[in-house]
Amino acid sequence: MLLSAKQDWLGNIRGDILAGIVVAIALVPEAIAFSIIAGVDPKIGLYASFAIAVIIAITGGRAGMISAATAATALLMVTLVKDYGLQYLLAATVLAGVFQIIAGYLNLHKFMSFISKSVMTGFLNALAILIFMAQVPELMNVTWHMYALTAAGLGIIYLFPYVPVVGKILPSPLVNIIALTALVYYMGIDVRSIGDMGALPDTLPVFLWPDVPFNMETLWIVMPYSISIAVVGLLESLLTANVIDELTDTESDKKRECKGQGLANIGSGLIGGMAGCAMIGQSIINVKSGGRGRLSAMTAGVVLLILVVFLSDLLKIVPMAALVAVMIMVSIGTFNWASIKELKTNPTSASVVMVATVIIIHRFNYAKCRGTYLCKII
Amino acid sequence: MTTKMIVACIDGSELGHSVVEHAIWLAQSSQSTLMFLHTIEHSHQSEHVHREGNLTPNMKEQLLDELSDEERLQSKKRLSEGKVILDDAKQQAEQAGLTAVSTKQRHGTLPEALADLEAEASLVVLGAKGEDHQGEKQGLGSQLEAAIRAIHTPVFIVKTNFTQPKKMMLAYNGSPTSVKALKFIAEGNVISEAVDIHVVAVKADIEEAKNLIDEASMTFSKSDRVISTRALQGEVLETLTSYQQENEIDVTTMGAFSHGKLHGFFFGSFTTRMLLESATSFLLIR
Repeated sequence: MLLSAKQDWLGNIRGDILAGIVVAIALVPEAIAFSIIAGVDPKIGLYASFAIAVIIAITGGRAGMISAATAATALLMVTLVKDYGLQYLLAATVLAGVFQIIAGYLNLHKFMSFISKSVMTGFLNALAILIFMAQVPELMNVTWHMYALTAAGLGIIYLFPYVPVVGKILPSPLVNIIALTALVYYMGIDVRSIGDMGALPDTLPVFLWPDVPFNMETLWIVMPYSISIAVVGLLESLLTANVIDELTDTESDKKRECKGQGLANIGSGLIGGMAGCAMIGQSIINVKSGGRGRLSAMTAGVVLLILVVFLSDLLKIVPMAALVAVMIMVSIGTFNWASIKELKTNPTSASVVMVATVIIIHRFNYAKCRGTYLCKII
Repeated sequence: MTTKMIVACIDGSELGHSVVEHAIWLAQSSQSTLMFLHTIEHSHQSEHVHREGNLTPNMKEQLLDELSDEERLQSKKRLSEGKVILDDAKQQAEQAGLTAVSTKQRHGTLPEALADLEAEASLVVLGAKGEDHQGEKQGLGSQLEAAIRAIHTPVFIVKTNFTQPKKMMLAYNGSPTSVKALKFIAEGNVISEAVDIHVVAVKADIEEAKNLIDEASMTFSKSDRVISTRALQGEVLETLTSYQQENEIDVTTMGAFSHGKLHGFFFGSFTTRMLLESATSFLLIR
């Protein structure tokens, strides 16, 4: 066991550190964007991503998987933040972590195998659509500059990797951010920037107990959110763990992952971060960039914190267009395009379940993981 | 009596040839059958990495195809390389006059392969380090401890190029595994009669060491093996390694890894330290 622990941490030092840096760079815009989706300051998502990535590196059951603030959990918090404010979100985050640890001890991860592939596909497709929809307000009532910049950003993200030599070394989302920021800055284009969206971290995070009254009333407010965050967080984490298992042809400890996700969320809530879970896209990027061990998640978290704390002045002037481009990329990457083709070949029942999951998650404003209920009925 | 089989684990490393020669020598003296084993491992570490960091449609499927293609090509290459190594070893063994020689190639890690062969094997021969660690001056291969711990058969660890072993040191401390080691040498007929056996006991108190030597002599008195004995006083590791040097010992026999991994993690394993500090080959009994 200890030998394998050493292998998990130090088996691939160079690959893990380089991949961790690539992931950290990709995490920054995502964490900011997910904070905006949840309706909180960008620093909440950034602190969360740091805390979750670092804690899960130690406590998680799947080496090489990246966890941070995610869209799936951010979308669940919107009404809580709107109605009750940030402190209740922090309390809900800690409580969600507690539920996840309990779920780990109760071996609830075993129920994952009962959830059909169609529901999972529908879940991801719905998520992709929701991430895309969350970008639409940024593109409403704006000048043509915004559209042009977003299109340019997407162009860079997808075409830059084809540039010989540098294309395979520099992460293209980073190139997009640098290029658009430089363009906006030197040409003095008046578009919204990240600085307009709320506070960015300027110090290292500090330990804070959520400032909420400790009574039953608070518990009843927070609990429904905590349960849905815990369920969705575990669902996406276990799904991602399966994806990484498959890609790397290795096994993971799902029970440990559940408990690890719980600890990570508790840690995040206590340093003023929002809830998160494993990220499918970033985990695949990590594997693709050569990351295999726990060191990659650790590096991602630490580098992310260094980047945002020391570069917060620069981050402020990054135009929202660059961020929207990154999020459209995330949405495109999350959507399972093959599932559209498979609609023709899959049995009708599977297709109906997949499409129904997408619609239900939308209709119910994603309030709870209805997909799992649907699956249980079927 | 069931036939004894020696399993020799070989790869393309420098020590590979020495492992073959040691295994042939052991098979001759113990009249065992010999099996050469080659494992094809998957490092799960891709050589072609892309750091463009963007998400593309159907990325997972593409990456999965890419990684499995790469693994397939690597496996094919290793498979054919391994076959050459195995054929060479078999030929060498047959030239040395052995008749019952087989080869086996399998996927997976060495500890897994050994655990599956444990029931058939009477002795396993391993190089102290394999292909991945060839350049390193000091030290032991990363899989060595895991491989030894995976099985309960005696393990012969080759650390140097082959020369006909002449002197063997048996480190005896009265522990259950060292008693097993004693019996293995006294009764097992694995080590050629031409090898001198030195039974050495080291304790902080010389009287205790002498008592241990008496015990050991008793065990050997039942067999017709002639041994020389030595009771020594001092720090165990230091005394044993200096005895090895002074007496030009070729093979060290001892009980191994009697403590759990947890103990080894916190206190350092004595066996690992012995393996690191000595220049001799080892016969470890679990």
